[in-house]
Amino acid sequence: MAEKTGKVSGRRELEELIQTCVSIENRQFNPFLLDISEALRIIRRHAGSWKTLGDNLLDMRAITSLARVVGLQSANLRFQSSSLFVDPGMVKQKVESMSREQLAGFLLLSWHPVVELEQLTEASTKEALDYWQKMLSFFERRKRLQPGPFDSPGAMDTPELARMRVLEEKAFGRRLEDLRREMKEQVGEEGRIDYWTFVRAKSFADTVLRAQMVSFLVSYGMAMLEKKREKMFLIPRDPPFSTGQGSPLSLPIPIPMEGVAPRAK
Amino acid sequence: MLFFKRGRVPGARSWELKTGLGKEYPKVLAQLDEALKDLDLEVKKVESQTLSDYKPGPDGEEEMRYFVRLKGTLTPKEARMTGWRIDNLAALAACMSLIVSKQGKSERKELEHIIGEKVGRWRALTLTDAFLRSGYLEEDEEGLMKIGWRTRAELDLESLMMLIAESKPKGAIVEEPVEVSESAEPLEVEGPAETVEAEFEDQASTEG
Repeated sequence: MAEKTGKVSGRRELEELIQTCVSIENRQFNPFLLDISEALRIIRRHAGSWKTLGDNLLDMRAITSLARVVGLQSANLRFQSSSLFVDPGMVKQKVESMSREQLAGFLLLSWHPVVELEQLTEASTKEALDYWQKMLSFFERRKRLQPGPFDSPGAMDTPELARMRVLEEKAFGRRLEDLRREMKEQVGEEGRIDYWTFVRAKSFADTVLRAQMVSFLVSYGMAMLEKKREKMFLIPRDPPFSTGQGSPLSLPIPIPMEGVAPRAK
Repeated sequence: MLFFKRGRVPGARSWELKTGLGKEYPKVLAQLDEALKDLDLEVKKVESQTLSDYKPGPDGEEEMRYFVRLKGTLTPKEARMTGWRIDNLAALAACMSLIVSKQGKSERKELEHIIGEKVGRWRALTLTDAFLRSGYLEEDEEGLMKIGWRTRAELDLESLMMLIAESKPKGAIVEEPVEVSESAEPLEVEGPAETVEAEFEDQASTEG
């Protein structure tokens, strides 16, 4: 019990130490406010009792944070010995006591603005003018592309957009469910249907689309693909479905363009 | 190459100068520096480590950026031509002195507070953003504000810190304090180095 309490207080001490180090890194406190030897004593005191990975990581974070503070102390000492050192408190006080005009005057005495020219040169102006004059008008350039006459803007409804394949007419899940139902209707009493009989459609593009949808049905466990010698059969499943029922195997099925004859109605 | 601004940052990188002028480009720059003296301009070299957005040169050589800047300083009268208000200049001075005193990094809140004391809270917010956009300030990954590339190129921080450290409170210098208004009447400003006649007027801000 005592050991557990010791660990809890140890963790709290380390977390507080890390927090202090973070505040120092964020310039909230002077790095010399932290007593490094005391911080090391705390880390050492608890070091032996850490057994879990989490505790050891906490210990490591505390040491790294402390190292960063030592780094800041070193940088601070170097800075203090440089000519730029002025105490921040004093600077604040000075700035607060000075008028805007005084401050502006001091800045002007230390300011050497960079020269930045943005105007055009004679050569680049000539080049630009030449380019502009040689450039054909928008309508002439458009004619070259032969896009035909301008279409006036019009409105489109959802079925029209679906026909253009900009929008999906049905949600994907709904389409899968419809296809499963269609399969179930077609299997009849036998309980299965020949793969190509089901997938084959009016056009090659539609066949590919149905084959793709069927692949999702099989992957999602909504149908089963049975392979017997050269033939493949589809067996629809009833809900509830789970992806665990899906086929773990990947079966590539080539769709020859010539072999896909229009489906018999 | 040095005068014209291409993209966001003016000046030219060392490898650009090397490509354009050859290996001996430092000699050419030294000659240019000599020639620019008559115009009160100079070539300023800024090291890559102080320019966070500069990439190393194609041949892996240490990257430098060269600028042409004013050799002397501006008088308040001349400063009017930059389009900067007195508020902007004072805020920049306050910002830089605080950041330098905190070893190059400070919290944004603290900066806004110190600027806000002089120019008001809302103006402090817009000015901090303006300094960030123009490159006087940069924000690091931890959200701390640090000195930007433009400050390194344009400001003599040692001189600024010296002036601020040696300054005396307003009352001790200006015997007849002048009321400052946004319309900015001609003002008298005295610094330890020299007397500056401040004749700022409200002008269109050039932030952004």
